[in-house]
Amino acid sequence: MSLGDKLRLLRAERSGVTPAEIEAALPELPKGLYRYMEQRYRAVGDDNTIRMLAGFFGVPFEELRWRLEWPRKSLNRALFHAQSQRQPITLELSTGEKVTGAIKWWDLGAAEIETEAGSVVVQRHAVERWDPRAPEPEAGEELDEDDE
Amino acid sequence: MAENLWALREAKRLSVATLASRAGLPIGLIMEYESGARSIDPRHLSRLAKALYVEESEIRMRCEPRPGGAALERQAPPRPEPRPAMPQQPPYPGQAGPAPASAAPPAAASRQRGMRPPRQMSEPRPPAPARPSQIAHLTDLIGRLGKDRAALEAELGKPLEELDRLAASSLLGKLQLELRNAPSPERHRAYLPEAVDQYEHNYLNSVKESAATLQFTLFNGERLEGQVAGYGPYNITVRQADGGEVTLNKLAIVSYRRARAEAEGADQ
Repeated sequence: MSLGDKLRLLRAERSGVTPAEIEAALPELPKGLYRYMEQRYRAVGDDNTIRMLAGFFGVPFEELRWRLEWPRKSLNRALFHAQSQRQPITLELSTGEKVTGAIKWWDLGAAEIETEAGSVVVQRHAVERWDPRAPEPEAGEELDEDDE
Repeated sequence: MAENLWALREAKRLSVATLASRAGLPIGLIMEYESGARSIDPRHLSRLAKALYVEESEIRMRCEPRPGGAALERQAPPRPEPRPAMPQQPPYPGQAGPAPASAAPPAAASRQRGMRPPRQMSEPRPPAPARPSQIAHLTDLIGRLGKDRAALEAELGKPLEELDRLAASSLLGKLQLELRNAPSPERHRAYLPEAVDQYEHNYLNSVKESAATLQFTLFNGERLEGQVAGYGPYNITVRQADGGEVTLNKLAIVSYRRARAEAEGADQ
């Protein structure tokens, strides 16, 4: 689960506190940054910001920090790579379950994986980690980094 | 009957400077009008008429020189009584004295020049040559499109450097459009599916239409089974076996799959 998805989930678990309320509670947080962290597909934020948010939500810093290395955009790359190379992918879900199989389709919300036990539709925000990770794009390859 | 400008001004006992100030025109221009060196611009006629409190028709469009007097009068308004003669000093070192008032009246010269020829409609300017930056941009685009410059110039009938600005601009637009539409191995979008949630939408739609039963796994570990009664971008409404409906926020869902019996049936 990306940092953005985790933050969204934490907000929902805390009775849907709004981004505006978070910004009001954390005046040191640059204005608009929280929304970016939650909505962007690339990794947004730094240790200092994450520390503030971890304090606000009452979760360990590391629980949020590692997710910065697993942004939604990386999952896009991995899904694209696995599908185009016709390779199986393993998705580690938030429940601890691992789903391995071929990708039938994927979009920005979910992916259908054809496993040995049948196909399963996985919500992308429930994917914690995946394997293999796609190769990092070369400089300038992703022209529309902020389109999403 | 129209009168000379200078005559009207003197009748109103105004200096050239005052008239110029009132009319909002340069002093030199008033002097040229009064001397006849220039006919009065119709656009200035109403200003002069207002400044002199006369009708426009009372002003002659081209003045005649005043009889026996200086055509050009700079500052002094007409005085009712002549001052007693003062010993005159040469105005500038080395100058013998003030020029006689009648010396070289510009009006004479202007009369020789005659009427100003009517302004001719300017002919359309020849188009400006292409800017160096346009040529550089064109060269770059031709290179990026992999085109043959010589062939393009042959098609245009002239070298790029001889294009005018408009033609260069038009060609730039054409090449840019061509570049935008050209498939290029260097340019591709990031890894994006064709639609944000089109595939899941299609999947849920087919499940709903076939009245298939799905088994949902939620974040809190619960499992839920039922048919899809409806769905949106953020939620799925599930009709359970007892007829009750529950709307699941997608954020609460980890995964879903066809119920085993359904899946086996689908496989067969």
